[in-house]
Amino acid sequence: MSHGKNERSFVRLTKSQRIQHVILFVSTGLLIITGFMLMGERWVIEMFGSAGNEIFYWRGIIHRVAGVSVTLVCLYHLGYIVLQEEGRSWIKDMLPRMSDATHASQNVSYMLGFRETRPKMERFTYMEKIEYFSVYFGMFIVIVTGIMMWTEEYWPKFWLDIADAFHLGEATLAALAIIIGHIFSVHYNPHVYPMNKAFIDGKISESMMKEEHGLWYERELERLAAEEAEATSEGNRNNA
Amino acid sequence: MTNSYSENDLRMKTKHTTRSIAVALCLSIAFLMLLIPTSALAVDDENCLMCHKYAGLGRYAKNEEQKAIKRIFYVNEELFRASFHGKLRCKSCHSGVEEIPHTDVKQVDCATNCHLNDPSTGRDFSHKAIVDDLKKSAHGADGAKTPDLIKDLPTCKDCHTNKPYQLSVDKEVESMRFIQVCLECHESEAWTNRFYKHMFYRAHTRRSSKQVVALCSQCHADKEKMDRHGIGVVVGFKDTFHAKAILYGDEDVANCLSCHAPYQMGFSPHRILSHADSSSPIHPDNKLENCRQAGCHADAQEAFASKGRAHPSNVIIERVDEDGVVISQEEQKFQAWVINMIELFYKILIVAVVGGLGFHRLADLYATHRERKIALRAAKLGRHPS
Repeated sequence: MSHGKNERSFVRLTKSQRIQHVILFVSTGLLIITGFMLMGERWVIEMFGSAGNEIFYWRGIIHRVAGVSVTLVCLYHLGYIVLQEEGRSWIKDMLPRMSDATHASQNVSYMLGFRETRPKMERFTYMEKIEYFSVYFGMFIVIVTGIMMWTEEYWPKFWLDIADAFHLGEATLAALAIIIGHIFSVHYNPHVYPMNKAFIDGKISESMMKEEHGLWYERELERLAAEEAEATSEGNRNNA
Repeated sequence: MTNSYSENDLRMKTKHTTRSIAVALCLSIAFLMLLIPTSALAVDDENCLMCHKYAGLGRYAKNEEQKAIKRIFYVNEELFRASFHGKLRCKSCHSGVEEIPHTDVKQVDCATNCHLNDPSTGRDFSHKAIVDDLKKSAHGADGAKTPDLIKDLPTCKDCHTNKPYQLSVDKEVESMRFIQVCLECHESEAWTNRFYKHMFYRAHTRRSSKQVVALCSQCHADKEKMDRHGIGVVVGFKDTFHAKAILYGDEDVANCLSCHAPYQMGFSPHRILSHADSSSPIHPDNKLENCRQAGCHADAQEAFASKGRAHPSNVIIERVDEDGVVISQEEQKFQAWVINMIELFYKILIVAVVGGLGFHRLADLYATHRERKIALRAAKLGRHPS
């Protein structure tokens, strides 16, 4: 379980994926802060004092700008998983399979001490798949209701009340899921504390890859060996 | 007896001292009289302040609910003169005060003529027109169903407190510059000052939106009082976007009066009408125009103003009519139910997701803890092979 510096590493996130992730988390962070500023109780809001009006103005602007950027990055991602090779491989590995259910039950029984070893998992573990598709579900709801509330003049007031209830409910769910699910797994997880640097450099160490994504690791090794063999045979052919 | 005074000497000395004290007293009284502003003496020609200037003047009395209250009759002259009504004589409003002690005091009626000349008409000034408007409005006695409910209704004084004209320091400096210009033609500085402040106060809203909401809430958030009148208590406003913006200090969003007494539609706080009145700005037929007021939702479409409530509430508000029959509000009930269902859905989802994630996270920590123990034991065994 050593994480030596000279260790071999693999590509976990490509540059495009890292940029999409940065836009997603910066915007989402801003959206959560500026959104929940509307839910503050009287005494919380009154703490802003005379600066309140100015803060309220910028709150609205920031929420809209962040909302637009998160929508654009989501749309880009949809194009990315269809049109680009890299994206197609991403979504192919991300699609839920029967093996995910097996892995989930095996991993839970390991964690609780009923099993000797963790199951070997694929490029994306069942937890990562759940997190990823939760974003689809959540984004669909907040984007649709957000656009409705932005164009409020064209909707019946009661529909806007429904949109508001969904927007708030989904935002609360997402904020809690991000904090408890995602932040804990990539920051407070003892394996990676204080943080999993993959979102910055895109790399995963060989040992971690072996431990957490055993099946993918084996697949990658096979692929590398095949590539190498091809390169050598090609080299031989060229030499001949 | 070298150092002693004779009896006569002593008498002479005492007489002398008494005289000097008397002279000093007279002089200081004269001096003190100089300090009293002559204007005050001139205006209080009814001599009410002879008694009412004493801060202790007051008595215990019983209010309508037979509760003992303290009534203060003290008038701070300086504050009164600086107030909106500072130019009026006491008896202009407190009519019938002729006997001492006052047993013939009538309740102040704001509809009386107050013997001030209204420069716009040349006639005596009076608030009568506004008082009549108020009587006809939703807040007026004319609309009260039973006489005992009249005492719940707001009176002039509930909103109008005859405040002193007080400007913030920067506004005061600004107004001084402005008044300098006026004084180029107008001679009386006191009159110019008052006239300027009269206009200035009306050019600016006197209550912030936050204060307006607080004022209306005094009654409209009181369920018991609203039940007595068969009106739905307002519970949903505080959760609206408008209410939150107001808390932040935004004066551009709608407060109660913006929709219930819009000046743009020819209403005023004195002419608020029930939603059932077909000319009311919140009557279904007029809602769209109300939302479309300049500076608000100018692009509002029919649907925006017709389906749903401006301040919806998850609490189902039961309204009771005069005969004690519950007025069913099927639409409101249905809408509250839908919103409650969405909230319930998310509550369940949040508990499930947070619970699931939390369980997974804790189980993972437990596994890591076990792994560490095993690794430690292995390391120990490796170091000390037995």
